[in-house]
Amino acid sequence: MTEPELIKGILQRDHRAFECLVNRYQKQVIKTASYFLGNMEDAEDLSQEIFIDIIYSINSFKQNSSLSTWIYRITVNKSLNMVKKQQRRGIMVRLESLFSHSAEHHTRHDPEPSISPDGVAEQEKRQLLHAAINRLPENQRIAFVLHKFDDQSYKQIAEIMKTGLPAVESLIHRAKLNLQQKLMYQFSEYKKT
Amino acid sequence: MECSQFKANLIDFRQGTLEEELHRSANLHLSSCPSCSRLMKGLDEVDELIEREKALDPGPFVATRILQRIDREFETPVAIKTPGWIRVLQPVAVALALICGILIGSNASKSDGVPADNLAKTTDNIEFLRSNLYISDFMDEDKVLDLNK
Repeated sequence: MTEPELIKGILQRDHRAFECLVNRYQKQVIKTASYFLGNMEDAEDLSQEIFIDIIYSINSFKQNSSLSTWIYRITVNKSLNMVKKQQRRGIMVRLESLFSHSAEHHTRHDPEPSISPDGVAEQEKRQLLHAAINRLPENQRIAFVLHKFDDQSYKQIAEIMKTGLPAVESLIHRAKLNLQQKLMYQFSEYKKT
Repeated sequence: MECSQFKANLIDFRQGTLEEELHRSANLHLSSCPSCSRLMKGLDEVDELIEREKALDPGPFVATRILQRIDREFETPVAIKTPGWIRVLQPVAVALALICGILIGSNASKSDGVPADNLAKTTDNIEFLRSNLYISDFMDEDKVLDLNK
């Protein structure tokens, strides 16, 4: 199914077109969402909403860019919204625990017995990394994640973010500097001398 | 090279885009500075972590779950197309059926009770049987009296 046929099929609510859309873009959508959210399960759940959104808003797709680029934009926006929701929820949980005097109960997560100590360390490091990424300004975060995790070229990132190449280069450079600052104390016990 | 200069050039150094001269002196600094080599090790670890995360793939049944969700969202009941005149005629037919039902019902209720003529005929028959066939206990007298009432 070619891209115009796929778009036409989605507009006609054709089940075969839905199947084609999901099979063609599920990996792209889920993996990109997981890089922003920091875990695969949440990304898989969110992907359902992303595909529903794609189908509902397909008539607003102007075909100035490729369908893939347009889907990237929707995925990034939805993922960032989800991160914001999770952060708000996190704040609420911390507030609740403060007022109910049960902070220990809410914040202490016992490691799952099936995960090896190495696995726990890996998970903790991943959480640290994503916490640091989520503290980056939004534009830097998008550019960095698409470049470093998703292996997108500067040109593709510029198209997704609707900006110029120099801006993308600058965003990625600043993101790397910021992350370096944020992470240097957390990995390999680095201490400033 | 000082630590501050090394850190300022770290991104280019790691990307391999630093000038040859600077790259050489950064390498020299790295071999002699434990804190900067720890920083390098930490950033290498971040890169490895990112590479491992990139290797993760979604579960095998995700596509099925997404398609089920889409089907639920866009499920529309199958509309049965009926001509316009049927849609007009249907309520008329229902109204007619109702009127017929009411009429039949009211007629039936009129003939439902035991009329006086029928009662008289029944009593005559009993009398006839009593007198001609000499059956005295053919019917209980009380019941006949009740019927007559």
